[in-house]
Amino acid sequence: MASTAPSPYRLLGGRIPYVEGPLKVTGRAEYTDDIKRPGMLVGRLLRSPWPHARLRSIDVREARALPGVFAVLTGERYPTPFGVLPITHDETAIAVGKARYIGDIIAAVAAADERTAEAALARIRVDAEPLPEYLDPRVGLQKVAEPIHARGLAGTNIQKEVVQHFGDVDAAFARAAHTTRVRGVFAGVTHAFTEPLVTVAEATPDGRLTVWSATQVPHYLHRSLSEVLGIPMHRIRVIKPEVGGGFGGKSDPLPHEIVCAALALETGRPVKILVDREDVFYTNHGRHPTQNDVRIATDAEGRILAYDIDALIDGGAWSSFGTVTTYYNGVLAMGPYRVPNFRYKGRRVYTTKPPSGAMRAHGGTNIRYSVEVALDQLAEELGVDPFVLRTRNALPPNSTTVNEFRITSTSFLACLEAARAASGWDATFRKLPYGEGMGLGCGFYISGSNSPIHFTPKMPQSTVHLKVDMDGGIAVHSMQADIGQGSNTLLAAIVAEVLAVDLDRVHVQRVDSDVSPIDLGSYSSRVTFMMGNAARAAAEELKGKLASAAANLLDVAPEELELVPERFRLRADPSRGVSFLEALHRAMEHVGALTATGSYQTRPVGGSFKGARAGTAPAYSFAAYVARVRVDEETGEIAVRKIWAAFDCGRPLNRLAVEGQIEGSIHMGLGQLLGETMSYRGGRLLNPSLLEYKIPMPQQMPEVEILLVGGDDPEGPFGAKEAGEGPLVATLPAVGNALHDAIGVRFHELPITPDRVLRGIDERRKEGRVWKGA
Amino acid sequence: MSSPDRLRFRLNGQPVAVPCEGARILLDLLREDLSLTGTKRGCDLGTCGCCTVLVDGRPTLSCLTLAALMEGRSVDTIEGISPPQGLSPVQRAFVEHGATQCGFCTPGFVVTATALLRDHPHPSREEIVRAISGNLCRCTGYTKIIEAIESAARETV
Amino acid sequence: MHLDPFELHRPTSVEATVRLAHELHGRFDYLAGGTDLLPNYKMHLNLRPHLIALHDVAELSGHSPTRIGAMERLAAIDEDAAYRTAYPVVGDAVGEIATPLVRASGTVGGNLLVETRCFFFNQSYFWRESLGFCLKADGDKCHVVPQKEVCYATFSGDLAPALMVLGAEVEIAGPTGRRRLPLGDLYDAKGDGIRRLAIAPGELLVAVHLPADAGSWRGRYRKLRVRPSFDFPELGVAVAARFDGARVQGLRIAIGGVEPRPRQFDELTRPLEGGALSDDRVRELAARLERSVRPVHNTFLAPDYRRRMVGVYVRRALADVREVRAG
Ligand SMILES: Cc1cc2nc3c(=O)[nH]c(=O)nc-3n(C[C@H](O)[C@H](O)[C@H](O)COP(=O)(O)OP(=O)(O)OC[C@H]3O[C@@H](n4cnc5c(N)ncnc54)[C@H](O)[C@@H]3O)c2cc1C
Ligand code: SF4
Ligand code: FES
Ligand code: FES
Repeated sequence: MASTAPSPYRLLGGRIPYVEGPLKVTGRAEYTDDIKRPGMLVGRLLRSPWPHARLRSIDVREARALPGVFAVLTGERYPTPFGVLPITHDETAIAVGKARYIGDIIAAVAAADERTAEAALARIRVDAEPLPEYLDPRVGLQKVAEPIHARGLAGTNIQKEVVQHFGDVDAAFARAAHTTRVRGVFAGVTHAFTEPLVTVAEATPDGRLTVWSATQVPHYLHRSLSEVLGIPMHRIRVIKPEVGGGFGGKSDPLPHEIVCAALALETGRPVKILVDREDVFYTNHGRHPTQNDVRIATDAEGRILAYDIDALIDGGAWSSFGTVTTYYNGVLAMGPYRVPNFRYKGRRVYTTKPPSGAMRAHGGTNIRYSVEVALDQLAEELGVDPFVLRTRNALPPNSTTVNEFRITSTSFLACLEAARAASGWDATFRKLPYGEGMGLGCGFYISGSNSPIHFTPKMPQSTVHLKVDMDGGIAVHSMQADIGQGSNTLLAAIVAEVLAVDLDRVHVQRVDSDVSPIDLGSYSSRVTFMMGNAARAAAEELKGKLASAAANLLDVAPEELELVPERFRLRADPSRGVSFLEALHRAMEHVGALTATGSYQTRPVGGSFKGARAGTAPAYSFAAYVARVRVDEETGEIAVRKIWAAFDCGRPLNRLAVEGQIEGSIHMGLGQLLGETMSYRGGRLLNPSLLEYKIPMPQQMPEVEILLVGGDDPEGPFGAKEAGEGPLVATLPAVGNALHDAIGVRFHELPITPDRVLRGIDERRKEGRVWKGA
Repeated sequence: MSSPDRLRFRLNGQPVAVPCEGARILLDLLREDLSLTGTKRGCDLGTCGCCTVLVDGRPTLSCLTLAALMEGRSVDTIEGISPPQGLSPVQRAFVEHGATQCGFCTPGFVVTATALLRDHPHPSREEIVRAISGNLCRCTGYTKIIEAIESAARETV
Repeated sequence: MHLDPFELHRPTSVEATVRLAHELHGRFDYLAGGTDLLPNYKMHLNLRPHLIALHDVAELSGHSPTRIGAMERLAAIDEDAAYRTAYPVVGDAVGEIATPLVRASGTVGGNLLVETRCFFFNQSYFWRESLGFCLKADGDKCHVVPQKEVCYATFSGDLAPALMVLGAEVEIAGPTGRRRLPLGDLYDAKGDGIRRLAIAPGELLVAVHLPADAGSWRGRYRKLRVRPSFDFPELGVAVAARFDGARVQGLRIAIGGVEPRPRQFDELTRPLEGGALSDDRVRELAARLERSVRPVHNTFLAPDYRRRMVGVYVRRALADVREVRAG
């Protein structure tokens, strides 16, 4: 199990059940779809049946004439483009002029009920001219007849091209003792959170607009609503109810959110848009279908000399986070090893398919798979144990990568040691019978993106407000977005830890842009690190105020006091003290309720070349996973039996949450590996359902042994880094490499469905290559 | 013999009579008409288990059940199986073991687990896995859900 | 997701049901557990203005060792340990259907009559309209085998092959009375994915009957699918055998999940009866069966893979029953 060093903290480092748990297990937690407003209308979206089409005209007269229909909207009404990245605003709330994928929104209605809304959709007449569809990103690399977006590179469908070179890769390859290469091919996968996308909006006669939405980033939604609807942010109020999972899929401002608000403005009535499951698949923004070519050069002992990476990324219809994705697919290969020479070319190409975007371990998952499989291959070719190879290459603490990432804490070596020992690697690897195998895969991920997307680094990335009144209850406000990962609980626990009070004194308030100070929300595994530091700062400030009041009551200097649960007391004479409430009430005299603010701002790190900021983070997580698998050589079915997950998240602040993130990440990683795929025929998604999109079932979950070996990070709150995304990346290569140990076949194409396994076995046998005697 | 315009059944232990047309789905009746929003809508097609309720004590997908067929029967939702104060042993175990993350699947799992432990107070791990194999969770990897049910079973010794 | 309005009928006897069916000819569907019909209705697949719910027809419920009422819930069979021990092949199949939640409502009758499936059919109205409707619902061409005016939708029920190899018969009630036919004959050998049943539209399935000797057959069912729950069979192989010492006295194999109907292959198994089930013979039989089925690409797994698995699954299922005999 996890490391056993006792935590120096009262709460942090323990197992802290989620503060909202009792509401969730009783069905009392309020999600967006649970909200019902008086007179609320039903919003419905008309989706494009064409992968690419010019919208010549849209006749909505008949729809509007239908009794019970309150509004019908088309693209021209709110044509301002938006997008999560300020530099790539290429989406509109409703398609303007062109539809770009099957599922693109081309009109919207608000009606009294579901049936009327659907009847209205059926009465909208669209005159469209089909345009060529572009499904294969390779086609879009050249000039095309009808570029999907005008902003594509020089008449092509290339959305973003990144070319980077550090050191001298060609020279490194020239002097290398050994080189290896792999080509990885990855199907697109999607978040498939259980709570569908849903938004409620209401415009009120006081000129304000309130929007409740299932979002991971309320602040970006707030901005986009303002930009597209042309309403100042202070007149819009964004509320985030409980969110039923996000994994990146609720981090872009999404068109239906803006449409819902627009319909509320048009009708003057509250409107709800619940996106049905099929349409959630079309909205996508999941992991990009990707092809990557990885070449690695080493010296004779397997020390890495250079990486040469090329990635072709299928973006779908919009940019979304794509510019970041394009960088990440290269630069997230920079750890957990020292790579002295590095060259990367990445291209993300628009296609007429549902847009891809950010999904858990965004940009790092596919490249990590290819690199780790290549290293495993290399270890084999060199006759070096995979653990030894990794150990030789581990990125040292307090170092700088060749692309100028600042590495501070790393317990990667400890991860390797722990995984090796716990899994019994030395006695097992290559010694299992044919069909059984063990493999190692390693991980590296950012702990928060260093640069805030929307404003200068001079603005904090996270702010937390505290308010204490007479009752001694501490209200905590922040726009951080709990989407199930436990950030509310961590926020409460940090405040309670610093103020030495019980958790039940601390009340984390629902995210509400009217009162919550800005935090950039849940993406890039930033919340624990950034919100955690902000929360700590706020609590320290409050503690200072209380300490002064206590000192005043005791007639001593604040420095002479220490805070223990519910009490300030003299360090020198613990019998003398005042209670928390006495101190509080003294502090409130003449001022009323106490407030405090804390914030966190990243310090500038990284180089100054173009794109240098992509992938910079205040800290990084590290991982070493060992997987044990069994392959049925006749059916090709894979059983993943156990995973030893050694992870460096810095200090785990809530072990229950960290374990949950690791177990959930492994489950999601296995999904991508074993069967999840966005399967297309032409531009048409064949499997937009939870029946045919193959999320693993409980019977498929391996035993998971978690080894938390991280040491304190110097800048993380109480030494913590991240555990939300990094735990996913090592899962895939660990299993991929274990498959090789089992049957001697390298799998470079995901998902590894049983027919692919059989094909691999067949090919090996046809070539007469024996593996473990079979 | 057309559909009754008032549907009578026991809901969370109380008799109710509600207007209901023949094509009304139980999940819609519960969530939209009766504001019992603890039962969740994840897919509407029987593929996630978020909408699980007890019908005559049996875990049932409310999204694939015609409300009209509930005439004279008893339906218990997550609201009904939650004690008026505090939590049931299953619910407590889910909280303590971290078996709920985003929580959207949780009411369904709690309903399923409650019925399992009522009928099989000491299920094996395999029986637990089988019992929950119609409830989808995207967050937890099921590990802590299984642990929570095992722990609740121990508690009810 | 709402349903379009329909009129719901709740007859209380078989005779009343059949009479009503006659009156509503072509304008109704029977509703059993609804776990197959309602998802299809939500997707606007072949809607009818009337539904006849079978829940109040007492005669359709319950099960005994030799009879299962059409409305018996799958869970009731699954939970009956004695029944599963008596007929392991049925126990295997029933326990692998969908999920416990679907089995709680889904019925045996509904399972035998489950609608055939296809990636191009089990889709929303929007999806199907955007591609162009297909033969099986609202359209006039097939997206799987466009050259033909035939539907290849796959029969994806788990129970049928399992009950077939035990020699099950179905009891059918129609306007002219009741009759029985072998379960295999319920599925139209000359039909396709649309015209899949040999009974007249509106005829009611009353019960499944097992012959008195069913318990003397040792059978197993093996199911291929991507995930161990939720997923429909991509292949289902049921075998049943009777042994006399080392010799196999009777052998039946039925296969579902690969074609528009479940099929029993007596012409291939009969020659083996009377001899020993040697490894060679099993291998040869498996290879023949593999060649005899024709899956098309309308489910998740590739058809050549599913076909190849026929051989593997047949061999394994036969190994299972040989072991049972030994043990
Ligand atoms: C997520 C999911 C997964 C599934 N997985 C599987 C699976 O793995 N294996 C499998 O076999 N099935 C599966 N199913 C399909 C289905 O649930 C089962 O086959 C079930 O047994 C159908 O029974 P029912 O009573 O619900 O049928 P219904 O939906 O009520 O009826 C099915 C059809 O049979 C007709 N019918 C029913 N009873 C009679 C009768 N007595 N006389 C005449 N006609 C009748 C109906 O009119 C309808 O056309 C799955 C369903 C879902 C939603
Ligand atoms: S096989 Fe052809 S006709 Fe039949 S459902 Fe599929 S696409 Fe339609
Ligand atoms: S909502 Fe009923 S199973 Fe998903
Ligand atoms: S806790 Fe999120 S889906 Fe289960």
